[in-house]
Amino acid sequence: MDAYDAGSAARHGPGEEPRDTPSAVAPSPAPPASPTSPAPPASPAAAAPSALEPRTGVAALSLRYQIGAALALAVVAIAVCVHTGMVFLHVAPPNTVTKQHGKAIDDWIYPEFEQNWKLFAPNPLQQNIAVQVRAQVGTADGGTRTTGWYDLSAQDGRAIDGNLLPSHTQQNELRRAWDFFVATHDAQNRPVGLRGALSETYLRHIVELRLDRANAAGEGGALERVQVRSRTTNVRPPKWSDEQVSDKPTYRMLPWWSVSADKASKTDRAGGVGAVSGAEEGAR
Amino acid sequence: MNRFALAISAAIARVTESALGPYQTAVIRIGFTATWLLFLLREFPHRQELYGPDGPWDFDLAQQLIGTNGSFTALIWSNSQFWFESVYAFAVLTSVLLLLGWRTRTMSVLFMVGVLSLQNRSIFMGDGGDNVLHLMCVYLVFTRCGRVWSLDERRAGLAREARARGERARPDRLGPALWGVLGAALVSVTVAGRLDGDLTVPVILWGVWLSQAVWWIVGRRATTPEPRILLDVVGNIVHNGALLVIMAEACLIYATAGWYKIQGSRWQDGTAVHYPLQLDYFSPWPGLAELLSSSGTMVMLITYGTVIVQVAFPFTLFNRRVKNVLLAAMITEHAVIAVVLGLPFFSLAMIAADAVFLPTSFLRRLGDWAARARGGLSRLTKRGDDPTELPAPRTPENPEHAHVGFTA
Repeated sequence: MDAYDAGSAARHGPGEEPRDTPSAVAPSPAPPASPTSPAPPASPAAAAPSALEPRTGVAALSLRYQIGAALALAVVAIAVCVHTGMVFLHVAPPNTVTKQHGKAIDDWIYPEFEQNWKLFAPNPLQQNIAVQVRAQVGTADGGTRTTGWYDLSAQDGRAIDGNLLPSHTQQNELRRAWDFFVATHDAQNRPVGLRGALSETYLRHIVELRLDRANAAGEGGALERVQVRSRTTNVRPPKWSDEQVSDKPTYRMLPWWSVSADKASKTDRAGGVGAVSGAEEGAR
Repeated sequence: MNRFALAISAAIARVTESALGPYQTAVIRIGFTATWLLFLLREFPHRQELYGPDGPWDFDLAQQLIGTNGSFTALIWSNSQFWFESVYAFAVLTSVLLLLGWRTRTMSVLFMVGVLSLQNRSIFMGDGGDNVLHLMCVYLVFTRCGRVWSLDERRAGLAREARARGERARPDRLGPALWGVLGAALVSVTVAGRLDGDLTVPVILWGVWLSQAVWWIVGRRATTPEPRILLDVVGNIVHNGALLVIMAEACLIYATAGWYKIQGSRWQDGTAVHYPLQLDYFSPWPGLAELLSSSGTMVMLITYGTVIVQVAFPFTLFNRRVKNVLLAAMITEHAVIAVVLGLPFFSLAMIAADAVFLPTSFLRRLGDWAARARGGLSRLTKRGDDPTELPAPRTPENPEHAHVGFTA
């Protein structure tokens, strides 16, 4: 990095920085009339420190102020090194240093400098995960009925098709909510800590919103309960490959959730907050 | 030994006496603000669902999560509709103003407040592009990114001209007024305990506010030029440090993306690129994807090429020519990703980050073209009054020339 810095500066000496040149090349009201007189490339640098603009930089300072400048330089240099080092350790694989000083690194990074750049890495996702939902609806005449499955991811996919500017509501909202849910639940779909509870409420809100939009409850009906499942299908390997993968989808079925239990997640505020810190942000 | 000492002192002189990369910092300022602005405009119809108090990630959920991680968002201060709409409008306005480079430092802070307020409100709505903006909006605060291609530069130029004509510059009343209003806001949110979460953002807000006061007082009161020069030197050092961090961040992004890919079996067997093209969420043009992945050799070349470019990029910074070739390759790849994978804002953010490595000569020419295009446009409306066009010097030695027409 240092080398780039130096390299780029070498291409345009400090004398060419606009800050140093105004006295030499103050934009005049008249256009530069004579393109025949080539400005010597080095002249601004030579001309700048003359009469109008006093010389800047540490050289122009007395010792007292130079010490101040040196102090500032030291502080900034340390801050840059520490920050870059912390970010490096944050994105690096778990290693000796991160095992020993994980807490210090997390304290520095979270919440504002969190990042994840494993873009399609180590392997790109090779499955289409569709989130689907059905609802139990209380009908106007007092009965109940269960709707068919709504494939919300397929709706998203259709909205993205041929779209130059897909919205985050189509591309990220449901997809990441499901990732969040999976990351904060065990194999029996039991939530882990506060984040698990939050992810459940979040997912429920999304499917409720979608069911409302699809008018799933129908005339005079009301949503009573919803059930979410995921349908995972392997992406077929490219046609030149002789690899075989199953094309049978697998399902993960979640329990029925009551629509009215809106505030249920609030009760779990204290539980296991630190245990899963950042697990799902890691997924973005 | 002597040579070493000389090199050190030359380096110190360089990082203290000027804010390096004025064009590079200006172009990333414009790039990131434009990305965010376009994103906000595109999502305007969906703003309630994404960040509104009654969206799926509602106020209550956000409050609980932020209670645990302490991230900064003004949207958590109130759950009223009016407040939400105001913050959204504020985010749009600040990105326009920072894009134009009006009161750049202040706007960079307000831009950061806008970005963090919306993103941290609904952290699960974002993707890699949001992540890039999230980091860069913080780093931008520390740079002097309005030295060129900005209204600030134009204002400074006009003031210089006035001084050259011997006129006395009018005192700046708007700056202190803005400072006062923002200070009052800062004090009241601090007193109200709204900044009690993580320290990063409050420290930046207070730090910038106080240093602007110091800057102003020293500019007016100091009897010798030295305090003013010292502040200028400190500003340069901070700018150069932040620029280094921005470049390091870009390198870390590519290095992480590349080195983790090397470990993946699909990137090794040369089929990785095939898979994202088949995902429902990343295939807006199934026909195009089909075409791209119809040739195994083609897919393998793109797969390997991607990894090679990403892994190699940080090292090529040591060689200007190779760096520029790779930069062009990466910008092209991101432009392709924007369309093929349907990730326009991610790609824009990445291209903006890449732009910090563009060579100065190229950026100046870009500024020239923009100026000429502008000149051409205005000549279409009112007939010719600018005779400078024909034998324009190819690469102007004079840095002012490149942008004076662009901003003036």
